[in-house]
Amino acid sequence: MSTTTTVDVVGTARDRVDGRLKVMGAATYPIDVNLPGLAHAALVQSTIISGRIRDIAVDDAERAPGVVAVITHLNTPPLAIGPPTEIGPQPLPPFQSDAVLHYGQHVAMVVAETREQANSAAALVEVTYERDTPVLSFDDERATEVTHPWTPDHDRGDVSSALAEAEVRINQIYTTAENTNNPIGLFATVAVWDGDALTVHDTTQNPHGARDALAAAFGVDPAGVRILVPFVGGAFGAGLRVWPHVPLAALAARITKRPVKVVLTRAQMFTAVGHRPNTIQLLSVGASRDGLLAAIDHVSRSSIGMEGELINLVTNGSLTAYACPNVSTRARQIRQSIPIPGWMRAPGEAEGSFALESAIDELSYALNIDPIELRIKNHAHVHPDNALPWSSNALLDCYRLGAERFGWSARTPEPRSMRKMDQLVGYGMGRGALGAYQPPCKAIATIRRDGTAFVRSGGTDMGPGTYTVMSMLAADCLGVPIERVRFGLGDSAMPKAPQEGGSGFTGALGNAVHATCVSVVRAFVNLVSDDAMSPLKGCRLEGITVRNGGIQITDDPARFETYADILTRHGLDEMTIEGESAPPGETSSATMIVQEGRFIPYTPPSTGTLAHAGAFAAHFVEVNVDPDLRTIRVARVVSAVDGGRILNPKTARSQIIGGIAMGIGMALLEETVSDRTGRLVTTSLAEYVVAVNADVRDVDVLFVGEPDAMTPLGTKGIGELAITGMAAAIANAVYHATGTRFRSLPISIEKVLGLQPGH
Amino acid sequence: MKEFTFERFTQTTDAASAAAARSGAMYLAGGTTLVDLMKIDVLTPDIVIDVGPLGLSRIDVSDDAISVGAGVTNSQLAWHPVVRDRFPVLSEAILSGATTQIRNMATVAGNILQRTRCPYFRDVHASCNRRQPGSGCDALNGFNRGHAVLGVSEHCIATHPSDMCVAMIVLDADIHTMRPDGATRLIPFRNFHVAPGDTPHIEVALEHGELITHIVIPHLPAARRSHYLKVRDRASYEFALASAAVVLDLDGDTIRAARLGLGGIATTPWRATEAEQSLKGRKASDATFREAAETALAGAVAREHNHFKIELAKRAIVRAFATAREAKV
Ligand SMILES: Cc1cc2nc3c(=O)[nH]c(=O)nc-3n(C[C@H](O)[C@H](O)[C@H](O)COP(=O)(O)OP(=O)(O)OC[C@H]3O[C@@H](n4cnc5c(N)ncnc54)[C@H](O)[C@@H]3O)c2cc1C
Repeated sequence: MSTTTTVDVVGTARDRVDGRLKVMGAATYPIDVNLPGLAHAALVQSTIISGRIRDIAVDDAERAPGVVAVITHLNTPPLAIGPPTEIGPQPLPPFQSDAVLHYGQHVAMVVAETREQANSAAALVEVTYERDTPVLSFDDERATEVTHPWTPDHDRGDVSSALAEAEVRINQIYTTAENTNNPIGLFATVAVWDGDALTVHDTTQNPHGARDALAAAFGVDPAGVRILVPFVGGAFGAGLRVWPHVPLAALAARITKRPVKVVLTRAQMFTAVGHRPNTIQLLSVGASRDGLLAAIDHVSRSSIGMEGELINLVTNGSLTAYACPNVSTRARQIRQSIPIPGWMRAPGEAEGSFALESAIDELSYALNIDPIELRIKNHAHVHPDNALPWSSNALLDCYRLGAERFGWSARTPEPRSMRKMDQLVGYGMGRGALGAYQPPCKAIATIRRDGTAFVRSGGTDMGPGTYTVMSMLAADCLGVPIERVRFGLGDSAMPKAPQEGGSGFTGALGNAVHATCVSVVRAFVNLVSDDAMSPLKGCRLEGITVRNGGIQITDDPARFETYADILTRHGLDEMTIEGESAPPGETSSATMIVQEGRFIPYTPPSTGTLAHAGAFAAHFVEVNVDPDLRTIRVARVVSAVDGGRILNPKTARSQIIGGIAMGIGMALLEETVSDRTGRLVTTSLAEYVVAVNADVRDVDVLFVGEPDAMTPLGTKGIGELAITGMAAAIANAVYHATGTRFRSLPISIEKVLGLQPGH
Repeated sequence: MKEFTFERFTQTTDAASAAAARSGAMYLAGGTTLVDLMKIDVLTPDIVIDVGPLGLSRIDVSDDAISVGAGVTNSQLAWHPVVRDRFPVLSEAILSGATTQIRNMATVAGNILQRTRCPYFRDVHASCNRRQPGSGCDALNGFNRGHAVLGVSEHCIATHPSDMCVAMIVLDADIHTMRPDGATRLIPFRNFHVAPGDTPHIEVALEHGELITHIVIPHLPAARRSHYLKVRDRASYEFALASAAVVLDLDGDTIRAARLGLGGIATTPWRATEAEQSLKGRKASDATFREAAETALAGAVAREHNHFKIELAKRAIVRAFATAREAKV
């Protein structure tokens, strides 16, 4: 008796399946879509910050060469707001009144034969405004606080007495700047109607969300609305909501009875697709002399626009970060006359972790305890709220192995004590974490008579490598060589998928693909179980191995048959099965774990026995600070990551590096600036400074930990993880290098010189 | 972008007379400034005349000078072996600017004539005396972190963004032009850019249609000991917050002569002549350099957000001179 082993592709470092297409310019992004009869739209944006449109003169624009239509609030029908998605409400629809609530609000749309004609006619639209005084500061007495159903107020224990009694206290204000996502792909929408059916090519991370929003806006059946986005072009969260230009493109197409395309300009990307709002955070930490945390009190105020709602849970991370008996968190939102914010990579968590991880660092100096030691001392071995053991938690390994890889032991604790040539050297670290999240997701899998597999779901790949890891997963689960697997994404006609956001999509889709592929194999097993012609007759899922495009009896390699042969014999063209993921901690009967081609029954943990852990990271940073010029350069980063089961170390590593790069930007460079009048002034990538390659030097990523027990797949979300705790790790390193604590991001050169305005 | 017609000539005189004949004509070289500003309606030429076919792309080296065609790319000039050898400050200045891709497109004349990055200049809805004479200046009380502290006026505080020009002014380059009537003239670099005063819209000493043909950089043996230091937020691909171009002529540790140019902090490529004079005959110490830096920035006027640039520029000056002093030549 011999057995055959197959080797999983999952877990190996593989190039992107779509890499070649992208490098050759053959991947079609929404901006590339061209249709016969296409008209082009350009947006006119408000140049005031707050007030009303008194008059819009469109005659010159209408008469300009090539112009097909000019749309304003005066000729726009009522558009309904779409239903809330998995992650909250959509922005309000555009052109519904004469109110101007922020700089850069769309006030008119010009449709013309060419993009150039639309742009030049847009410049002819003459808007007369009535100005109001905008609300531009949290201290403005007209600034109102938003209350909403996601009130992120949490209390554990008694924070005020614990703080009062604490032997050591840190009590500081931390601020983070407004940041803008800036994916390299400009957001584009191409809309075309056929009766009441609407097809839209759109830069979105949520095709089903966009479908539902557009159906609601125009009062048509969602079944007739189709969103296509095979390639996104990056988004970092900007594609999670249906922004005003999307219904406007559909409206223009309806009015002109032609396909209409709108592409935002880079400047418009700063005002029209959301951003990370700024925060002011008050953080108090109390501890005993020997370094045990007694209390954390975290209060955040962040900005939100004058209308609409947005979930922004800045302080939630502080609740479960450490084994601290007394914790209170408050996250408030203050209405300001700013462009409508949205989500940007680890929204809330990136900002909140800056405050918390800075304060913990400050505490380590106050106590004279090594920052890693302090964190290990206060490690939450169980979930701090319900005392349940974690479903997986390798944070301690992140600390230890990351520190080792980094060479933390060479650090001398005294600030300004380390130098390299003429540069001040600082070592800093920070803890990163992102809570577990896995929304429901469906997928569909087909095996065709030619032996190829086509697996698909209506989510997106905005760049992390979803096509690649899902192809790998499907290949393993079906035993079909990866070259013969095609994965489909970016089409709302495919099974319903959640947004690609909240670091929940690999888990959501991966578990759906896994479950669906198991069902496909099960269907083949059922087909041959009493098929006398099949060498597999009588087989059961537990006794087979899938490999080489077919099924083998595990103990008898001679008993093998390809899917193609089975389909042919049964006169079938294909086998297609739809499936869905089970919620974490639950399992459907279909769920097995597929390993090396075998099917192993998966038993989820008994309900209520484990706390579903998210992903963890420990970041270690070396900065070099020029003692005279005060420039800061991040010389080295080591990030140790507990990401559960890593499907593809190469794409996973890229995700972490991307988060680190964005963390460097957040810590040192990025700030979306409005001047005192409320006008946005950093509206290009020359003025809004993100980290470039020269700023992201020696970066090392280390994966630790085990597959998570809560789902068959065992993954954790790592798309946003790396930016959490990253800005603090850098700020902590800057403190170690310079002896000056920077609590306000970005740590720009004037701050390091001590010469920022107001000082 | 406004519609325009596109013209090409092979003779400089034809190009110049075609440009001079129509007020809405502009030359196009690499297009990295012009097309960028056309796309945001800041520049709206009716006629765009391509200088590419004019063949102004030679670099001629003689014992006493190097002559650089107007159409030589920034990359070609920066990597030219004679420039690397004789004028490190020029090579370093060019290579500190923009990116490889942009430097491969950008030309020497285009670089000299590039426009300010002031966000209010670049926003047609803002008030800007430079873009629209008499409309006011939103930068004065606006976001002025990137703005100038030297050569400013009550009408304009826009920074001249070029790196290359700071090295050119320090090297006493001459700009050679051809007027529409075919006559040529020579404009010393330091007379070329004009401080805003109360006419910010007049930026350079060129007449309409006047074509830059080449730049001549006289040989300067001391320039072997020269350096360009650029300070900015990120490590690459950003305009200067402050920069210093220095040439140091040493006799042991005594300064025989020194030259100092400043970038990122002035409305024109800036030559700090008084500071240069003050260094003559002094010991080449950091303290001496700091004194010169104080002199160079004595007339600086800061606004709300750019105050730090004064101190930053002083430190950049000291560091640039100190680096030049230590250079092995
Ligand atoms: C993103 C970005 C970053 C940059 N960063 C930097 C930086 O860090 N440092 C820096 O110094 N620069 C920087 N630049 C500016 C860059 O150096 C200039 O855009 C470039 O040098 C212009 O050269 P060009 O040949 O493309 O000029 P063009 O855009 O073709 O022309 C510029 C101007 O010169 C005129 N012109 C061109 N040739 C002639 C001629 N022969 N005679 C008369 N007039 C002429 C044109 O009419 C036009 O007004 C940056 C530019 C960009 C877009």
